[in-house]
Amino acid sequence: MDDKISVRQICFILFAYNAANKMLLYPSFAANAAGNALAFPVLFDVLLQAVIIWSVAFLSSRTDKSFFGLMEDTFGTVAAKIVYALFALYFLLSAIIPINEQQLLVHDSFYDTLPSLWIFLPFFIFAVYAGVKSLTNVGRCADLCLPIFIFCAFGFIAMGAAGANFNNLLPVLKQPFSKVAGLSLGSLYRFSESALLLIFMGHYKYKKGDAAKMTLSYIAGGLTVAAFMTIFYCVYGSLTPTRSFALSNISVFFPTISYVGRIDLFLLYAFDIVALFAAVLNVQAFVHCLCKAFGKNFRIIYSLAANVSLIAIMFAVNNNFIALQQAAAKWFWIPAAVFAYLIPLLAWVLRRKPR
Amino acid sequence: MNYALKERIAEVKGQLTSQDILVFEFDSLAGKKFACIYADGIVDKNLIGELIAKPLRAAREEDGAQEIKKLLAAPEVEDGKDIKGCIKSISDGNAALFIDGEEDFFIVGVKNPPGRAVAEPPTQIAVKGPREGFTEDIKVNLGLVRKRIKTKNLQIKTTTVGKQSETAVAICYIEGVCRKGLPEKIEKQIKSKEIDIVPDSSYISGFIARRPRSLFKRNATAEKPDIFCAKLCEGRVGIISDGSPIAITVPYTLTEDFQTAEDYYTVSYRATILRVLRLTAVLIGILLPAIYVCAQLFKIQLIPAKLLFKIASSVAGIPLSPSVEIFFALFVLEVLNEASIRMPKYVGLALSVVGALVLGDTAVKAGIISTPAVIIIAFSAICLYTVPDFVETSTTLRLVFLILAGSIGTFGVVLAAAFTMCYLVTEQSYGAPLLSPYAPLVAKDMRDALYKSNMGALNTRPKVMKTKNKVRLKENGR
Repeated sequence: MDDKISVRQICFILFAYNAANKMLLYPSFAANAAGNALAFPVLFDVLLQAVIIWSVAFLSSRTDKSFFGLMEDTFGTVAAKIVYALFALYFLLSAIIPINEQQLLVHDSFYDTLPSLWIFLPFFIFAVYAGVKSLTNVGRCADLCLPIFIFCAFGFIAMGAAGANFNNLLPVLKQPFSKVAGLSLGSLYRFSESALLLIFMGHYKYKKGDAAKMTLSYIAGGLTVAAFMTIFYCVYGSLTPTRSFALSNISVFFPTISYVGRIDLFLLYAFDIVALFAAVLNVQAFVHCLCKAFGKNFRIIYSLAANVSLIAIMFAVNNNFIALQQAAAKWFWIPAAVFAYLIPLLAWVLRRKPR
Repeated sequence: MNYALKERIAEVKGQLTSQDILVFEFDSLAGKKFACIYADGIVDKNLIGELIAKPLRAAREEDGAQEIKKLLAAPEVEDGKDIKGCIKSISDGNAALFIDGEEDFFIVGVKNPPGRAVAEPPTQIAVKGPREGFTEDIKVNLGLVRKRIKTKNLQIKTTTVGKQSETAVAICYIEGVCRKGLPEKIEKQIKSKEIDIVPDSSYISGFIARRPRSLFKRNATAEKPDIFCAKLCEGRVGIISDGSPIAITVPYTLTEDFQTAEDYYTVSYRATILRVLRLTAVLIGILLPAIYVCAQLFKIQLIPAKLLFKIASSVAGIPLSPSVEIFFALFVLEVLNEASIRMPKYVGLALSVVGALVLGDTAVKAGIISTPAVIIIAFSAICLYTVPDFVETSTTLRLVFLILAGSIGTFGVVLAAAFTMCYLVTEQSYGAPLLSPYAPLVAKDMRDALYKSNMGALNTRPKVMKTKNKVRLKENGR
């Protein structure tokens, strides 16, 4: 199976998928934690992660090897396999929040009456199918998702801006620093795309300037999220935390909606396609890591295992998502700091031959 | 050996026992005896008279086979090799000429199978541009291609498929433009299949498809030689099958179905608008019935308030649920569609009136189905026919989306869309990704995708074709 991905596709992932994952429940969660300063932690986390992304991308300019190859050269095959298996676990952990948020979005915005939890199960058929696909498939899906994301995200921002009251942001520095810093730390696990980039290493051909392209794409994605969250807060002000899903609420005051109906829901459904791909990306990364560690023959088993685990977690946290989210904010920053911040930086000390 | 004419005739007739195999025996003025064996109905008897019998009247008694061959006026004369080859040639529509007392015999090309004249094809109709269409005769079709591509680089490889039919298949490509090894690969794939009969080129499509069971086809079709030739010039390989007016081309990308010949004969702005329109229409055609069902069953907010009241008054009293109602309307549409194609022309007209007007109108008035359901299904059908080459796939997709909409709801539709995208991005036809130039994004090829650039900008062949010669338009003297 071909596992090649292009830098352009990685840029699209860092822009669109990165942003799509953070536009579901995160805006209202951030509004609850930091009030009108909800965009500052995003900007801080994005910039912090952008530095790591640049570091990993720049590392690719020094070697053609994958991260697995570098580990193998330095510590041997067994150590490389162990690290990749740990990365697989990390990606599985990272998949929990996006997939559960996706499930809540579906239950909240796709149906007039609250459906059964079982209605979300077909998602896992898709996740199993997508999970066995190669990185080439991941990249090509990103190619398709980018225009959808741009159209929908900017459509939401434009429609939301029409009903926004920018006075809601004032005074800008109202919130205490501790709240902003707390949200930054609690959101660290959401800004962990460098771990993915580490896995993509060696599967793309680095050319001069690619590190800058990837970093800027990531920053652009982060800025889109920040803009979206700011507009969302401007629309609802202090009521923002009560509006769970920004996507289905941001544009309800757009004047045309009262004449032509909820056209924004069509944008939401189109956007959800991107969010679905963004949600399964972690499953795909999980399968990829296990394939590297234990061989490609059991690809379908890995995908099935990941999805069965995620189904079990989904049923376990049913109606307790807030508790899960609070626990994630409290504890998930630790594995994120290790796998998406520390290890990518430590990758520089791995033995590598010049290109 | 005895080469008496009667015995040679008996030998051939012993193998070709069918009554339509005729023998035309004649003598020269000097008394030399000849026999022409041919299949009735697929040879031109006038040609036998003019090109064989008439010149051979001058044959002398002592003339050998080679002297007699020189007398023949036919442009296609081959030395016969053995009786097996002779029988195949006669079955192909040629005449076998036997000479009394001679071992050698000749195969004379006088083939003229019944067929229709070159005419405008029923699909791929263009308001502007050439109107010639392929016929069922491979020779005519190859002639139409050769008429348009006069370069010596045009290569035509012929082979036969079908144990019983021995259908001639021509693989056409332009040497130096087409990717190296591709025609050979296709030829190998075609030859590897043993089947009784190949009545149409769609059989060949099945032979060369990597996944024959896929919902999405793996080759494009062309009924017009101008389209076929344009595709050859892009670096594709064309396959023409005898007996089929539809040629196939590979590699194929899904974008091709949304392009028409007329796009290239009109201004680029208009072509772009039409392509966007086709894509939008197909998306509406596939999704509209599903969205209508979702809106009624699961998310009523999707319908604007005023329209909702109208629909509510229409559906009040309808005994069927929205999904069953749409299924029923779709079923009636498919039955009408199928019947109107198969019915004789005049009955078909009556059927349209009875089906569309009487049945539809009465069903609505009787309160079996609602007016919105009829409108949605009718509009969906019209939308799908804006891209006729994609209609087999799109109608099936419409059904899949409808089933998911009725059972899972809006999320089912979204999930199916994501699933389709995920499936399509990895599919390919002879190395060309099915969704290119969108996924993978090929910036240069985007000039002739949804957006149709002007002719000057289309100066290179599609990148996904991986052609040897990339330039197709050079501006000299500028």
